[in-house]
Amino acid sequence: MNHAHTPTRRRLPGIFRLAALAAGLTFGLAHADEYSDVNQLLRSGKLVEASAKADQYLAGKPRDPQMRFLKGVIQSESGKPTEAISTFTKLTEDFPELPEPYNNLAVLYAGQSQFDKARTALEMAIRTNPSYATAHENLGDVYAKLASQAYSKALQLDGSNTAVQPKLALIRDLFATPAAKGGKAPTPVAAAPAVETPPAATAQAPRTVAATPLPGAAETPAPAGNAAATTEVESAVRAWAAAWAAKDMTAYLAAYSPNFAVPAGQSRKAWEADRRARIVGKARISVKLDNLVVTTNGNNATAKFRQEYKADALELTNGKTLTLVKAGDRWQIVREVSGN
Amino acid sequence: MPFVQPVSVCRMKPLTCVVTTALLLGAVGSVWAQKPHYPTGPTPPRQAAAHTAPARPTAARPAPVRAAEPQLNAEARLIGVYRLIGQGKSRQALAEAQTLVRDHPNFQLAQLIYGDLLSSQMRPLRALGDAPDHIANAAAPMLAELREESALRLKALRERPPAGTVPSQLVALSPRNKHVIAVDASRARLYLFENTPQTGLKLVADYYISVGKSGIEKAAEGDLRTPLGVYFITSALNRSSLKDFYGAGALPINYPNPYDTIRGKTGSGIWLHGTPPNQFSRAPKATDGCVVLANPDLERLMRTVEVRSTPVVIAPSLQWVNPAVLKTQRTAFEQTLGAWQAARVSGNLAKVVSFYTSDFSSQGKNFDQWLPSLEREVNAVAGRQSQTKDLSVLHWKDIAETMVVTFAELPANARTAPTRRQYWIKVHGQWKIFYEGIV
Repeated sequence: MNHAHTPTRRRLPGIFRLAALAAGLTFGLAHADEYSDVNQLLRSGKLVEASAKADQYLAGKPRDPQMRFLKGVIQSESGKPTEAISTFTKLTEDFPELPEPYNNLAVLYAGQSQFDKARTALEMAIRTNPSYATAHENLGDVYAKLASQAYSKALQLDGSNTAVQPKLALIRDLFATPAAKGGKAPTPVAAAPAVETPPAATAQAPRTVAATPLPGAAETPAPAGNAAATTEVESAVRAWAAAWAAKDMTAYLAAYSPNFAVPAGQSRKAWEADRRARIVGKARISVKLDNLVVTTNGNNATAKFRQEYKADALELTNGKTLTLVKAGDRWQIVREVSGN
Repeated sequence: MPFVQPVSVCRMKPLTCVVTTALLLGAVGSVWAQKPHYPTGPTPPRQAAAHTAPARPTAARPAPVRAAEPQLNAEARLIGVYRLIGQGKSRQALAEAQTLVRDHPNFQLAQLIYGDLLSSQMRPLRALGDAPDHIANAAAPMLAELREESALRLKALRERPPAGTVPSQLVALSPRNKHVIAVDASRARLYLFENTPQTGLKLVADYYISVGKSGIEKAAEGDLRTPLGVYFITSALNRSSLKDFYGAGALPINYPNPYDTIRGKTGSGIWLHGTPPNQFSRAPKATDGCVVLANPDLERLMRTVEVRSTPVVIAPSLQWVNPAVLKTQRTAFEQTLGAWQAARVSGNLAKVVSFYTSDFSSQGKNFDQWLPSLEREVNAVAGRQSQTKDLSVLHWKDIAETMVVTFAELPANARTAPTRRQYWIKVHGQWKIFYEGIV
């Protein structure tokens, strides 16, 4: 057992770990190019090149969590679940405070129908970050799958043939690559922080800044003139929630701008497929918005609210910020960020 | 061949008939101990059958050795899960349920509860077995059965027999009845008693059981009902001699007994047996008339009980009474038996005949055919005192009142005597014999 060695390293004072992470972050910014290069290769399906570039980077920085994370994603995408599981497992050992590797481990286990292991991993992800929406949603799906297996065994139904595999979301990016501006990527969509997947540390900074303009910083709030715009944004947001709850995929996807920042590492097409699988697969969905606060600035707007999401057995409440842009006479979502 | 051997209901060929003679213990005095103790541990494994052993009364039996506290059985673990749920400890309940279904994947009720506990992590439960509609609808009858099983297990565990009481049928037991089985159909429960001269009757275990698809009160072949009455285990069938369907083994009982026969009941092959590989336990009403136990429970019975000398009482619901009440009944019945014996010793055949019903039978003979042998016997025993050994009296009351009486009549100076079994029935307030045979 090598148990004896590694824990001592890992259990060096918490400060060390934090420091290492902080360093990682700094490097992350400094080496954003390398991450985004690998990311882009990944997104454009050049997995061999992506893998080679990641390995090259890791040769110099073998502990680097973000690149290791990307490597795990590449391995998953390359149909190498065993390697990917190994990569993410080691990440959970070296960085037990990060929820994303646990989440991705769970996705891989679920892909192998190892739902008990998937459940354990997701519970770890949530213990690590209780407001981790993706893990909650994934865990809901895994509980539902495990329950359905147990019920099928109880009632001697052959659950294995007909049961739908839960569609779990793989996190593509660990530390969000600094938000790229729309249109910079070769694909029609921008690489941007995760949607509905607040990554652990760094994503919070841009999110808060983007979401709430400091008082006084906005020079021309012009509330009176914006009243109409605010109402428009409100109704756009409510229409979006209604389409989601109604599982009206056409209306739901149309609420998103062509420039919508899909989660890093995903193409618009893949993201749409994910959303479709997530939404259409549910028997019933309800989306309730509370404390909706809209701020507009010309053709830009942000909508902040508490989102109470119920899908079949799953209930999830969290804060959400939508960034919208007016195109023609329609307000469309360009960013979607969850968090508390 | 004392009793009809079971043949067909369980669709298995039974072992060859157990022919027994001259079994007698020399121990002095029947013991009806008055101080039952409550379970402390399992009885040691015991040879289930000793068919051919010549009965040497002095053969010392090894004293029962107490084993360690048994490992928690599957039902106890399930109840533990219920308890945790009741205490609101759903996470812990989930963990316990997970290990329970890992150890017993074919324990359907445990799987159902496990499914509920998983679901409860996401939503409130509306009922036990709150499966999604598409699953629940696909197996609605089975879901209802599992709910019934759950309710019955809980009922049996909530409504425990009062301490120190015994089923009312057990008026007297002989030291030869080392164990007694009593089934309470209303609770889907089998109670196993140990009977020792030192402590008397002691409840040592009780198990969930399944009965016939159509319930109880068997009357006719193929009616899918479990018989009610006083029976005895007639043989023990090992797993290896049976189809998988019977699980860990089988203990056939002597249905139809002489009382069933005079009432025209038909059918055969009523067994206590185990469960098939895909089911840890079966629904409360699931069998063709047999009594079915989970395999670990049946295994324990197989290890514990003796063939022929183990009574099996199957009642719609057991009445638990204080042993003192039964002692009074016993004393009263001993007087009746004493009067029958006195009549024989007196040599007055007419008086002896008055103890028998007109529809009496003995091993295939009706009363008239049997009368000559009764006469010979009366002549033989006239004037000779004898001693009654190893008396057991089992009471059964439905539309009539009967006693199943087993004893050995040891003539003075004799060392051995056959074990007799008589069936007595109360006719207009008088106890009369309607069947007699040698065990």
